[in-house]
Amino acid sequence: MNILPKTAAHTAATSAENDMRTGHETSPLLQVHGLRTEFVTETGIVRAVNDVDLTLHTGKVLGVVGESGSGKSVTARSIMRMVHSPGRIVAGEILFNGRDLRGLTTDEMRHIRGSEIAMVFQDPQSALNPVMSVGDQIAEALIVHGSDKRTARRRALELLEQVGIPDAERRVDEYPHQFSGGMRQRVVIAIALASSPKLLIADEPTTALDVTIQAQILRLLARLKDDVGVAVLMITHDMGVVAETCDDVAVMYGGRVVEHGPAEVIFARQEHPYTADLLKAMPRIDENGDGRRSQGLPAIPGAPPDPAALPPGCAFHPRCRLAEDQCRSDVPELSPRENGLRAAACWITERGDTIPPLEPADHTGRTTASGGRVTGIAVHPDEDTRGAGSDTSDSTGALQDLLVVDDLRVNVAADRRSLFGRPDPVYAVDGVSLSVAGGETLGLVGESGCGKSTLARTVVGINRPSSGSIRVGAGLVDASSPGGIQALQSTVQYVFQDPYASLNPRRTVRQSLDEALEMRGVPRSERAGESIELIRRVGLNEGHLDRYPHAFSGGQRQRIGIARALAVEPRVLICDEPVSALDVSIQAQIINLLETLRDDLGLGYLFIAHDLSVVRHLSDRVAVMYLGQIVETGPVEAVYSSPQHPYTVALMSSSPVPDTAVRDRERIVLTGDLPSPKDPPSGCRFRTRCPIGPLVHPERQICVEKEPALNTTPAGQRAACHFAGEMVLAPAS
Amino acid sequence: MATNTTTVNGPANGAGNVGAVPRPSARRSGGGAWQRYVSALKRPRGAVGAGLLALLILAAVLAPVLFPDGYDDQSSGALAGPSAGHWLGTDELGRDILARTVFGLRTDISLLLTAVPLSAAIGTLMGLAGVIARWLGTGMQRLLDIILGFPGLILGMTIVLVVGTGWLALFLSILVVGLPMFGRQARAGLLAEQEREYVLAARVLGVRKRTVMVRHVLPNIIDPIVVNASVFMVVAIFIEAGLSIVGLGIEPPVPSLGAMLNTGARYVEVHPAYIIGPGLVLLLLALGFTLLSDALNKAVLRR
Amino acid sequence: MLHDLWTGEIMIRFLLRRAPSVLLVIAATSVIAFLLPRLAPGDAAAAAAGPEATTEQIEAMRVEMGLDRPLVEQYFSWIGGLLTGDLGQSLQFNRPVSELIGDRIGSTLELTIAAMLILTVVGIGVGVFGGSARSRLSRLTADATNTLLLATPPFLAGLLLIIVLGVALPVLPISGEVAVLDDPVIGLQYLLLPAVALAVPMSAGVARLVQSSMHNVWQQDFVDLAVAKGVPRRRISIRHVVRNSLGPAVVALGMRFGDMLAGAVVIEMIFARNGIGQLAVTGVQNADYNLVQVIIVGAVLIAVLMQLMTEIALAGLDPRVRLGA
Repeated sequence: MNILPKTAAHTAATSAENDMRTGHETSPLLQVHGLRTEFVTETGIVRAVNDVDLTLHTGKVLGVVGESGSGKSVTARSIMRMVHSPGRIVAGEILFNGRDLRGLTTDEMRHIRGSEIAMVFQDPQSALNPVMSVGDQIAEALIVHGSDKRTARRRALELLEQVGIPDAERRVDEYPHQFSGGMRQRVVIAIALASSPKLLIADEPTTALDVTIQAQILRLLARLKDDVGVAVLMITHDMGVVAETCDDVAVMYGGRVVEHGPAEVIFARQEHPYTADLLKAMPRIDENGDGRRSQGLPAIPGAPPDPAALPPGCAFHPRCRLAEDQCRSDVPELSPRENGLRAAACWITERGDTIPPLEPADHTGRTTASGGRVTGIAVHPDEDTRGAGSDTSDSTGALQDLLVVDDLRVNVAADRRSLFGRPDPVYAVDGVSLSVAGGETLGLVGESGCGKSTLARTVVGINRPSSGSIRVGAGLVDASSPGGIQALQSTVQYVFQDPYASLNPRRTVRQSLDEALEMRGVPRSERAGESIELIRRVGLNEGHLDRYPHAFSGGQRQRIGIARALAVEPRVLICDEPVSALDVSIQAQIINLLETLRDDLGLGYLFIAHDLSVVRHLSDRVAVMYLGQIVETGPVEAVYSSPQHPYTVALMSSSPVPDTAVRDRERIVLTGDLPSPKDPPSGCRFRTRCPIGPLVHPERQICVEKEPALNTTPAGQRAACHFAGEMVLAPAS
Repeated sequence: MATNTTTVNGPANGAGNVGAVPRPSARRSGGGAWQRYVSALKRPRGAVGAGLLALLILAAVLAPVLFPDGYDDQSSGALAGPSAGHWLGTDELGRDILARTVFGLRTDISLLLTAVPLSAAIGTLMGLAGVIARWLGTGMQRLLDIILGFPGLILGMTIVLVVGTGWLALFLSILVVGLPMFGRQARAGLLAEQEREYVLAARVLGVRKRTVMVRHVLPNIIDPIVVNASVFMVVAIFIEAGLSIVGLGIEPPVPSLGAMLNTGARYVEVHPAYIIGPGLVLLLLALGFTLLSDALNKAVLRR
Repeated sequence: MLHDLWTGEIMIRFLLRRAPSVLLVIAATSVIAFLLPRLAPGDAAAAAAGPEATTEQIEAMRVEMGLDRPLVEQYFSWIGGLLTGDLGQSLQFNRPVSELIGDRIGSTLELTIAAMLILTVVGIGVGVFGGSARSRLSRLTADATNTLLLATPPFLAGLLLIIVLGVALPVLPISGEVAVLDDPVIGLQYLLLPAVALAVPMSAGVARLVQSSMHNVWQQDFVDLAVAKGVPRRRISIRHVVRNSLGPAVVALGMRFGDMLAGAVVIEMIFARNGIGQLAVTGVQNADYNLVQVIIVGAVLIAVLMQLMTEIALAGLDPRVRLGA
């Protein structure tokens, strides 16, 4: 890919000439020059996309990667000329096959959309018209470009088969709500491919999907790219997805492209500190796990800038550890590096300086502003004498269990009632046992619908268990016994996923903290002081106490949520996907905060996540859940290095790794979707999707007939599989 | 809204500034409830609506001052057209139509401002009854279903049959017709709020049920109820006028806007000006509430 | 709209599921209606017998009305009568209630059917116009018209129509009626003004719901997908936006049917139409309990059935709504 000097403005005429050439020298399919898109708001003009240049050749995949507010989605919409009001494209050219799309009439542009450029959207739940059959929606894409109804319908059927919808003949007349999320995204892709477009713009096509479904969709896109020969513009926030799918990468920050080049080159070495630091700040699933928990993650401070208030100079300078005076005043241009192989917009690297690797955060450092131990938060004495033979210690003898869940079942249909009796029970959690000790983290992973959140909510008493026991505290008091609920509330607290929903919008931070302090019995007069200590402990300051939640960013709100949970001096925190709603650069900050708090206060964590890399970084032990049951559990090193259950193997090999060096590794892509817990498969619940089960080996009737027990495997962890250990994780090449 | 958009600058330790993401939920305004109500009045519709209502309420309050002769002075000729002494003419008993219109407005406003808030309060309590006991909540919903089965005016006629015509019947009709609307709204709000994460967080902390209700649930369901009450004002005006116009309204000689339309309708061919006064005032009253409720809806509920 | 929900079995299951709550509302209404003469202040028999009745006459009336028997027995004999078509005797007219209602129901049916048609056409039409309007001016016009109509009660619209079209420019009759089936041309002339007066103000509520629902649908992702497919705006408007807003429109229409019955009472008074509404009003004014009881039960029955039909129609429009679930 050639990065042309800015002065060499390409005209439509020269592009047309380039078309005549052959081979490598063909002119790009899409060339964006100096694109600028603005939104007119009450408070002024917001420049969401600023001087963006992109180049994409036929048959290639260009990844545009950035965090929220970086302008990546607006760039995609600008190319389609689909920017929502009050946004408008104010400058630049969008050359598609040599024609400037900005110069087309509305009707000409409409003809290009769908037939030459198609788009796949983020959320398959809302991207399909609920009252139109999927067949009609695919056919419409052909009919509006001149196809007759019968041909369109026949082609719709073909397309459904092509994108891998089983039983397409029957399903073509069904409605979107009858399809699962992954299947809907396949339908959206079928719509996009209907008229064999030359360019496919995929705006976060897998962000709303689970990791095994994401692997299916990415594989489908790769196959279609080769079959159909379409160029793909892949918009994503996920460096892993970029590394796995893209030929070229453009990194966006604050509305500008800050770095740009072939994927292998960029993942090997970065020329912009933002790209470099972002890659460092991501936990890795293949992280080398020598003596873990020694170091925190290297974190980028601060938050991505508000596009309405971009800092002067380089937009990254307030968060950049290399920033100099020039960075604060002058905007760096995207300048070619390494003979035009790549480009970056940075004053520091432009003069040839290299970027030193971002160091892990000091473990006790920034986040504990007051330093040392905070008096408001009791440190339990037995932590200093870990493993000193307390009679409630678990068999490893190291730590004291503070939360023990035994054979828990939760019927989520129990609360629904109708006039004609109770509905059939639906066990979202079906026989789960686990324990969490002080100072350790148990990671709980699984896809959406596997019951991990129901489990967590049942532990803290939001849902009611149908059977099984929950015991808490140093004395392991049964939560259902008299007084057990008080023990539970003072021992176990909860950190919610969505920082925008977990704080009451009408109450100030102080009021939220006061409520929690009141529950601990802190007298009114002491609450102000305690609040200050709490808010400092999570990395904010007392100036924040009297503000309402809407004044804070997502990361800050998550800090407040953690402070509220800490206010009752709990011993165990249940963290329900605490970082999954946050930007990548913020995730590392919150992970570091959680780690610091755990180690300083000796907290035990039940850490729930779908992101295997985050779980690996933070956990001592891990449990993998599938359809209401734990299928594999054990020390994090054992499970990640030699997973024994085929589901664990599939999960790990499906997780994208932000490293182009391992993009060709063998992946196990599961077929189908998670079955409904209403009617789980007999025997082993995983058998309907298992790559080593009766699907592939029909003689393995044991999987249909007998439920596998969670047995200890030779590798050290426990796995619930009749053929545990048969499937091995392909080593990273 | 000005203070709602203030940003927090990043603290020295680098926790960052306000998120760059204009997420929809991030726009959900929090903080001072009054500011949002005040901001409704800054919208064009809110300003016009509130202005209209302020004028009408002022006129109603000052009626005895503006028309010292009262509404039942029969000293002039009957059914006279507009004149300097009687701007809108006189009615069938020779009473000044303008004076009766303003006193009629007084009757209407007194009904609205008592019956509607009471209906909202009782309806809300009925909707929240499920908090005390599940069966009570279900029972209340059934009761509200039954009331909802009655078309408004039929319900009014039923009440007239029991208590007879007069102020009380109008008051009760408005009160009862509003119950299902407020009750269902409150219940829907309650069910939605109970699932909110900040409510769950309070429960996990062990905050008492009643405290959770008062602190977290109620403040967040009051706003829609208030907005709905302003919408219901218009319905209430129509109920008063509807019952009056079929002759089941307030007892003469006390005027109400609907009662005047009732008698005025009989003389519409000979004295069309008769119904213009009460008709126009009724329209303005309803228009004022419509505009105000629009503005409140946008300013208070938009998230 | 032919999807697999439309089989007879599912419909029967739905009706069975809803039956308990519908029956509850109707049973409760019948009890309320039944208790009315007993709840009223004073002696119902005395009121029914008239102001100059002697004690014997009042006692005779009490026996005639069945007020001397135990309450439960009275209720079941009354409800049994209703179910077997014996609606009782009107006290003021001294004629069977069934006859009175039979004479008048045609007039009210004409009025409500005509008004419902106008309501549907105008409500959805104005709503779709406002919801698809792109220019500021047409949007403003739609909004302003809507707001004004929302604040106008049907009877006021009726009175205005009478003044303008009946008195100032006498083009249409403003009082009385001729059955449409007897003489369609004249009948429709008599019907037009009352039906317009009843329907047009109410159509504002429907229009507003349709409009705001369309505004929401325009923001949906699937509209973006349609744009990205290259679908022309007009087709998006009809196939995607309007189609998805019809559900709320049907709900809006169904909800307003009860209001329409109530509105008909007033409109019949103003336009001097001899319908059930007038009958009900004179019934209330003259404490004709036997008559009013039947009208109340009938009105609630019709309103509840309309709610049920709305739900069925909604399931027909939106495949996500499942009647059986």
